[in-house]
Amino acid sequence: MAEAVYILCALTSAACAVLLLRAWRRTRMKLLLYSGLCFVFFTVNNVLLFVDLVLIPAGDLTMARTVTSLVASGVLLFGLIWDVS
Amino acid sequence: MLKTLLDGAVLMAYLACALFFLRFYLQSKDRLFALFSLAFTLMGVHNLLGALVAPDLDAERVYYLYVVRLVAYLLILGAIWDKNRAGRASR
Repeated sequence: MAEAVYILCALTSAACAVLLLRAWRRTRMKLLLYSGLCFVFFTVNNVLLFVDLVLIPAGDLTMARTVTSLVASGVLLFGLIWDVS
Repeated sequence: MLKTLLDGAVLMAYLACALFFLRFYLQSKDRLFALFSLAFTLMGVHNLLGALVAPDLDAERVYYLYVVRLVAYLLILGAIWDKNRAGRASR
């Protein structure tokens, strides 16, 4: 069950990234670009989560996961403050 | 210690993003922004719960915490789908 939740998190975030970046290519709206990039990093984060908790339970990728979340939210926040508002 | 600090920064960033989207929603009345705001608030809640309930790797195996994150992603997917459908209908 846990594995299913982690895999679904990775798949849904990847789907969000693809949809947002496709919409950005069509409309060139900056907000869509930053949201898309944010979800690219969320996808990396969720893949790391799966690797950390399921594939290599002995390893510890906690820091890498925290840093990817920080980069993801940082990219979006930068876009919102610098480019969009 | 450093992880706690960074987790706090991530929580703050999520909530700030949620507030920006809430402002866009109030300005444009576009449902997309309301759903984005809700999703980022949920991600913040997930982060906070993670820090409180599962501060270390072993405790993090309480996978149902990640259901909160999954719901947030599904909200975003739903918001994009809703927006695309509205776009097609108006054409």
